[in-house]
Amino acid sequence: MRIVVVNGTHEADFIVKKFKKERHQLLVINSDKKFGEYISSSNKIPVLFGDPTKAYTLEDANIQGADVLIALSENDIDNYVACITAKKLFDVKRVVSVVRNPKRVDLFRALGIDSVISSTYLLGESIKNESIIEDFIKTISIENEKIVITEIKVEPDFNLVNKKIKDASLPPHLIISCIYREPKAIIPNGETIIEAHDKLVIVSTLEDTDSMIEFIQKRVVPHEE
Amino acid sequence: MKRNKTVVIGSGRLGANIAAKLSDLGNDVLIIDKDGSSFRKLSETFSGYDVVGDATDLGILENEAFIKEAKEVIITTDSDNVNLFIAHICFFIYDVPNIYVRFSDTDKGKLIEHTTIRAIYPFILSIEDFMEKRVGGIEL
Repeated sequence: MRIVVVNGTHEADFIVKKFKKERHQLLVINSDKKFGEYISSSNKIPVLFGDPTKAYTLEDANIQGADVLIALSENDIDNYVACITAKKLFDVKRVVSVVRNPKRVDLFRALGIDSVISSTYLLGESIKNESIIEDFIKTISIENEKIVITEIKVEPDFNLVNKKIKDASLPPHLIISCIYREPKAIIPNGETIIEAHDKLVIVSTLEDTDSMIEFIQKRVVPHEE
Repeated sequence: MKRNKTVVIGSGRLGANIAAKLSDLGNDVLIIDKDGSSFRKLSETFSGYDVVGDATDLGILENEAFIKEAKEVIITTDSDNVNLFIAHICFFIYDVPNIYVRFSDTDKGKLIEHTTIRAIYPFILSIEDFMEKRVGGIEL
């Protein structure tokens, strides 16, 4: 692929290294002369010094028809202009902008930037995801990680809800060893019915853990009317 | 909502004078600049509103500059990139009927093709003015 990397400092250097390793064809433009020289010498590639928000700079860099342009400057609006110019005037297939202000993610998308990346936004999302995992799935492993005990909270829309364990067609290699249902713990048998908000304690082998979690968390598919 | 406001973004010499002129003509004018001291350039007869704020922020554009009530917007900050960005927001997000934008770099004009945004280029105006004033005209 032909990839254009414009502006940015250490993140630009990192991305250039990564893409170079993957043998992509790189075009690097930087408006900071000193950092441009640094990227150039540390990666042994030419770096064009110039303002990538100007059409003539992109023209000089010969970016016409490139596959991707990534704009990494600290100035969101400069990134927007570099991306839009590349897309509209040089037919770059996909433009990617980094934004400092996470509120601009949706706006940039609405204005035609193909991907918008905000590290603050991503940080928020990943914290959110981690806390979800923290809340719903807890795993401990015993016997040198060959056996895994997982605790999963049952959501009301899970497929398993209101089913007897024997009718739930559980895959082999897993046992629901205990159900915690406020305020008591139940040791289930085949007749036990799984309810929403139960916490299931499941014993499985390490290899089957992922498919087990996927099975338990299967949701009811709403019927189309 | 009724679109009856004139919104001027950027209170430099050009923005401030356009705002004053349109206000004198009886328009309901609001001028916004991120630097409050720039409103000194407004004439004393200016009877519109001045608002301090960053017009690249959607919240400010909507709630402080009332962009949804604008019949026209005139964008004259000192950065072409900021001007282009705000012009695109006014056109693509808020459907402002009349948008005018000042560009130093004539290449920026290619980025507003296929829109109703109209550009003002001081560079072109200066050349035209020069050619007109040149003794002997184009013949010399």
